[in-house]
Amino acid sequence: MGSSLPSVAEQLLKDLQRTYLETKQIPDDLLIAKLRFVFGPCALQALDLVDQRSVTCVSSPSGRDAFQVLGGSGRLYTCFTSCHYCPCPAFSFSVLRRNESLMCKHLLAACLSQAMGLWQQEQVSDQQMTHILSGQTEAST
Amino acid sequence: MADILGVVFRRFASGTVTSDVIFPPDAEANTLVLGDVNISRSVLFLAAVTAATDLGLKVLFFTQTPFQSLPSNTFFFMHVHLQNVKLVYVKTLEELVEDIASLHELASPPSLIIVDGLDHYLHRSRVRPLQDDLSPVAHVAALLHDTAAFLSQILQNRADGQGLCRVMVSFQSECEGSRDSEALAPELLLCVLDRYLQVSGGGICQSCVLRWYSSGTWCCWQEVLWSSGSFHTKNGITNLPWLVVHKFNTFGLTFRIKNT
Repeated sequence: MGSSLPSVAEQLLKDLQRTYLETKQIPDDLLIAKLRFVFGPCALQALDLVDQRSVTCVSSPSGRDAFQVLGGSGRLYTCFTSCHYCPCPAFSFSVLRRNESLMCKHLLAACLSQAMGLWQQEQVSDQQMTHILSGQTEAST
Repeated sequence: MADILGVVFRRFASGTVTSDVIFPPDAEANTLVLGDVNISRSVLFLAAVTAATDLGLKVLFFTQTPFQSLPSNTFFFMHVHLQNVKLVYVKTLEELVEDIASLHELASPPSLIIVDGLDHYLHRSRVRPLQDDLSPVAHVAALLHDTAAFLSQILQNRADGQGLCRVMVSFQSECEGSRDSEALAPELLLCVLDRYLQVSGGGICQSCVLRWYSSGTWCCWQEVLWSSGSFHTKNGITNLPWLVVHKFNTFGLTFRIKNT
């Protein structure tokens, strides 16, 4: 499995984006059911993270971007924009090692936030971005 | 970059250096080089100088061990643009990750990122990976992918730049003498590398894995696919026939093409 999504998952996210653009509402039961079917139990957890506005897009003057997702434990997880990676244990175990899931809840939350335009924006310096990308910066609230 | 290596091998075949090698019009692939650490390192270096000289690419070469001498066949490189090859000596995985993460700060980004001996960085990480934790290798591989994607955007936006940033990584899948009994199985690590470097031919880029098969002093390259946790021979589309490489000292290489 590559670092991008299967086409059925991509299409589902596009449907979600289209629906949200039209209705400005969180997806209906049918769409949620589809999300659960494709992405598994983490779909609801991811939607909760989106609802809590837990996803932040950090940008630096160089133009580099990354997503930071505030997990339930208060830990901040940095996800990349061009491929699917999350430093959380669930991604390492369920996605990479066992190949049981497409994503963890943090990655899915980032994808859903992108689809619905529900992320927060934060500007950081180039040096701060370097620390974030290298995994040195993890803040807890 | 598999095509770059093809040029390297053809140029140095038969022990004579040739300059009349047709360079492929597109060299867009990521490449994963597996096998003997010293030979892989030499080949990566030759690929670096070839890319810098023939393609005019700016190359960043990450390695743990400083080069004590250049390959013996570098008499060819009297005209080489070595100023386009920057050697970066980093000792630890953490330093490697931080250096790659900082590439977005460069005013003049590289078009080719080479990481020599990624397996050694992973094994010598200060924060030893847990037995079941693939996160460190995934992090560095994903970071390489994301960095290359970002730098490709930068290069494409520049009027005079090459369009893509490529990645070459060497990885010794069997670490003779240094294997930790608690280390992750090489197949798992290769799967993760393939996920992000996409060297098994997935997607648009034509990518490849080159693997050494050794017998005494003779080693053979074969272009293979890494798919579903195992190697498969590429049929009919390889640019590299069986190449027999004679390692006559720790750094010098000669190549001989063996027709199959």
